[in-house]
Amino acid sequence: MKLQVSHRTRYEYAGPVRESFNEVRLRPVTNEHQTCESFHLDVQPAARISQYSDFHKNTVHFFELPESHQSLLVESKAVISTASIAPLLVATPSPMSALPDCVRMDRCFDFLQESTFVERSPEAWRLALDLTHDHADVWQAAQSIMRYIHKEFAYTPSATGVHTHMRDVLRDRKGVCQDFAHVMCGLCRALQIPALYVSGYLYNGPRDQLLGAQASHAWCEVFLPGLGWRGLDPTNNQPADERYIKLAVGRDYADVPPVRGHYKGNTQRTMDVEVFVERLDA
Amino acid sequence: MPITKAIASTASHSDVYTPKSGVPWDEYLDASRNVRAHFAGLARDLHDLPPGELKRRAETARRIVDEQGITYNVYGDPRGMERPWQLDPIPFLIAPAEWASLETAITQRAELLDHILADCYGPQDLIRSAWLPPALVFAQSDFLRPAHGIRPAGGRHLNFYAADLARSPDGQWWVLGDRTAIPTGAGYALANRLITSRVLPEPFRGCRVQRQAGFFRELKNSLSALAPHAVGDPRVVLLTPGPFNETYFEQSWLARYLGYTMVQGEDLTVRDDRVFLKTLSGLEPVDVILRRVDDDFCDPLELRNDSMLGVPGLVGAVRAGNVALANALGTGLLQSPAFMAFLPGLCQHLLGEELRMPSVATWWCGQKSAEKYALENLAELNVRPAFRTRPEPALSPEEIRARIRFQPHLWTAQERVALSTAPSWNGSALVPQPIVLRVYVVATPNGYRVMPGGLTRVAPDGNMRLISMQHGGASKDTWVLSDAPVEEVTLLQSPSRAIELRRVGNNLPSRLADNFFWLGRYAERADATARLLRSTLLRFNPENSGSAMSLLTPLLRALELQGQLLPEWAAHNAEALEADLMGAVFDPTRACSLRNLADRLEHLAMLVRDRTSNDVWRVLSQLDECLTLPGEGRMLLAGEAIAVLNRLLMLTASLSGFSRENMTRAQGWRFLDMGLRIERSLYLCNFLDCALRSPEADNPSLLEAVLEFTDCTLTYRSRYNLLPDITAVIDLILLDDTNPRSLLFQLLQLVKHFERLPREKQSALPSPGHRLLIECVSRVRLLDPRELTGLSGGWHAGQTGAVLRDLLRDLPLLSDAIAASYFTHSSISRAD
Repeated sequence: MKLQVSHRTRYEYAGPVRESFNEVRLRPVTNEHQTCESFHLDVQPAARISQYSDFHKNTVHFFELPESHQSLLVESKAVISTASIAPLLVATPSPMSALPDCVRMDRCFDFLQESTFVERSPEAWRLALDLTHDHADVWQAAQSIMRYIHKEFAYTPSATGVHTHMRDVLRDRKGVCQDFAHVMCGLCRALQIPALYVSGYLYNGPRDQLLGAQASHAWCEVFLPGLGWRGLDPTNNQPADERYIKLAVGRDYADVPPVRGHYKGNTQRTMDVEVFVERLDA
Repeated sequence: MPITKAIASTASHSDVYTPKSGVPWDEYLDASRNVRAHFAGLARDLHDLPPGELKRRAETARRIVDEQGITYNVYGDPRGMERPWQLDPIPFLIAPAEWASLETAITQRAELLDHILADCYGPQDLIRSAWLPPALVFAQSDFLRPAHGIRPAGGRHLNFYAADLARSPDGQWWVLGDRTAIPTGAGYALANRLITSRVLPEPFRGCRVQRQAGFFRELKNSLSALAPHAVGDPRVVLLTPGPFNETYFEQSWLARYLGYTMVQGEDLTVRDDRVFLKTLSGLEPVDVILRRVDDDFCDPLELRNDSMLGVPGLVGAVRAGNVALANALGTGLLQSPAFMAFLPGLCQHLLGEELRMPSVATWWCGQKSAEKYALENLAELNVRPAFRTRPEPALSPEEIRARIRFQPHLWTAQERVALSTAPSWNGSALVPQPIVLRVYVVATPNGYRVMPGGLTRVAPDGNMRLISMQHGGASKDTWVLSDAPVEEVTLLQSPSRAIELRRVGNNLPSRLADNFFWLGRYAERADATARLLRSTLLRFNPENSGSAMSLLTPLLRALELQGQLLPEWAAHNAEALEADLMGAVFDPTRACSLRNLADRLEHLAMLVRDRTSNDVWRVLSQLDECLTLPGEGRMLLAGEAIAVLNRLLMLTASLSGFSRENMTRAQGWRFLDMGLRIERSLYLCNFLDCALRSPEADNPSLLEAVLEFTDCTLTYRSRYNLLPDITAVIDLILLDDTNPRSLLFQLLQLVKHFERLPREKQSALPSPGHRLLIECVSRVRLLDPRELTGLSGGWHAGQTGAVLRDLLRDLPLLSDAIAASYFTHSSISRAD
């Protein structure tokens, strides 16, 4: 599938601000499932953009605006081709009993721990056990958790914010894709299933049926011993497939916000985000 | 033994120095109660002191600490700010051979820790090959993911390191703790040396004590060598968290000793991945940062985004290789005691050597066997969090057990340590006190070097377990003895290079200019307030009434406008008014009382601590002292208050004397003086305006008060030899540019300063502030005070009154204009 994304973030400040330092994680990943064919990042006021790769191997673009300004526009355009992901067979052997070894793997350890918005509380542990006690297979267990979140949690925009902790989402049973991904990470980690947070986009087709489209999206990846990382989207109750575009991965949202910044001056501002995902090869 | 007795007899009390029973090792006496050989020289010298002399010298040491303003801030204690540094004058001595083996062991340890850091922040082979469990690194908040993959300048992560050492019962040394993030205390060690060598000069000369200055020279050279871009004289700055940090004094002391600019995060900025210092004349590149800000506070963009202490973009600049940080970011990782359990194996693996000095026995509960051992022996072990966490209330053994079982990797257990004891001065005699020795190491291009000496800390009240300056311990100088005569080193000479003569110091950070400006304003405000209060009190008499009271009114009104009196004063009877005036002097809760002004002055002086002399510091502490009420609730007499004000005016006079005679005419002084001139003009205009509005404006008694306030009484008498006349008085204190107290004189000084300000010089047209100032000067110059002659009222309605009102409006604008052009750093920031 060939997809085109445009993502605009616009800030308007109530007064002049300066010494603004920003980093963005907006460049789609290139891996065996997707290829980023082109990527263009535009910033206004104009700034020199540099880039580096962070601890989780995400591409980060960095820019600074030392002079006084009253608005900031960050716009990215990318073309990505994605490959279909073969579904896993039901009988795939990824036994739960292989999980304790994961903690000794350096690529898994981080995704088994608590992080800024995810905790491993006794409550989460009990809930996760109840949901998965009859599963011997990691993939089955993780899917049970995904189904549970999809069924029990209400998709409610504006019930939560970007800094809402998983424990509040567990209590109120509502939120958006970011919150569901956090809950899923927490429940998986409680069972020693390595789970990471993915920030990206979802192409929902011309019919606009799926949630999380025409906006930034977030889902999870779980580690299946012997098979590697596989994506699960608790918001839409499905495994990640060729409609999913991955931007960055981390322990939770705090590791991968699309735009993060620091500036001096008026603290009052408004933010406006527009995301469009289109299919080019339909 | 005679020498033992001798030591005891130097104390006026008859206690004999006796090691506590049950303490396995005393540093001074051996098992058979003989003085150890390396302490013999010190013991003899102390014995030779006349009776009572040691007590006197201990008091001298105490006084030097006070006078130098050596302080240590204790958090969470209302009196905690600026607690005097506790120095025990009796040094701790280490024999040459013993030091040599300590040195080798500590150097090896620094090398080992640096190797571990290089791996954790680089290839992570130790984790992949199971030498280190992932949890030990990844579960720590001190593992800074943004710092991973950054190659440190000079190739080392650990540039500066300290280790806490203790002596085990069998006489061997072991390591209690590693300080890898920000090794504190070297500056205090320096201060201890300075004082101890001064109060005990005889043994210091006789004992061949190794000097510490050579170490600091190496530190300086090594830091300069870290500069990423080859420049002749790289700029090194010391990044401080600010005056509320516990070791702020030490930081300013070190900055001065090493000749570095001391900066706060807001003094620095990043442009195109380079770090710059914001100075009055613009941005100046910074090459090396000696950091005293915690790792995760250094950059609000990539690290903790609630940090107010860091520099946004700093990590990016480090990553780009344009600035060197010492220590590198993330070195705090190895401060976790859990690492100690792994060091012997890692030393073999990485260096191919035995670990020369053991750590205190440590079990990291992240390993099954260690967890089991810790749970079984909980009562005998010192159990603590393995990684840095928020402080928590003490947990019961049962709670600890449950926590360990739930998340074992977050806990370590350590053997309880019996510390050795050394003689300390308790005010009357020498007594044995447990000690811990902190030693310092610096990375040089030729390997790690250990400072000969260190900071020996003494446990308070013999408490073996809590050695911490936060818990009220004292410290002592550490003398490393030498077999050979010692080499004299001083930081002040630079033998290899001819010195480049300079007339202007390094450019002043704008934040400091701001602080100097306000220091000047507050110093003058205190002076003017004290003058006005004194004039008022001298004329105040509870029996005052009628005309006497109306003569006093302009003074009281001026005090009200300045905020020393509350507007209700007018309705008060004489007694209440007197209490009101006392409040204006002593009440710390009244916003503009003298007491309050003195506090603010002291705070401002602390902000420019590394740029002001000890003399200034001493004057300010006396200022504070003389404004402290003698006793709670005691009624103070007006006469006593006048005496206090007289003393205070002497102190403010010496303050301005120091600034006039002892400060070089650099930018700091210029801003200080500008603050002072603006404030003096404002107070003068305010008081004169009140005086002219009074129906008694031409009354010679009121004019006397005006002359007294402006310190012009003598000048007036020598010129006119008659009762004060309103026109002559106004001429003298407004228009006479030869009178250093006159308004015109202040304005002309301001003009001179403006012409020399960095950016004023370059621009063709005067800046808004300069323009305003020129207007003020011409208004005053064109004034003709003869309009006041012969008037019988309405003095303020004429041109003179108008000029005063214009100035009262424009001078605050002038102050704002200066702030806008030069102190623009002071704005709020926001992160998300």
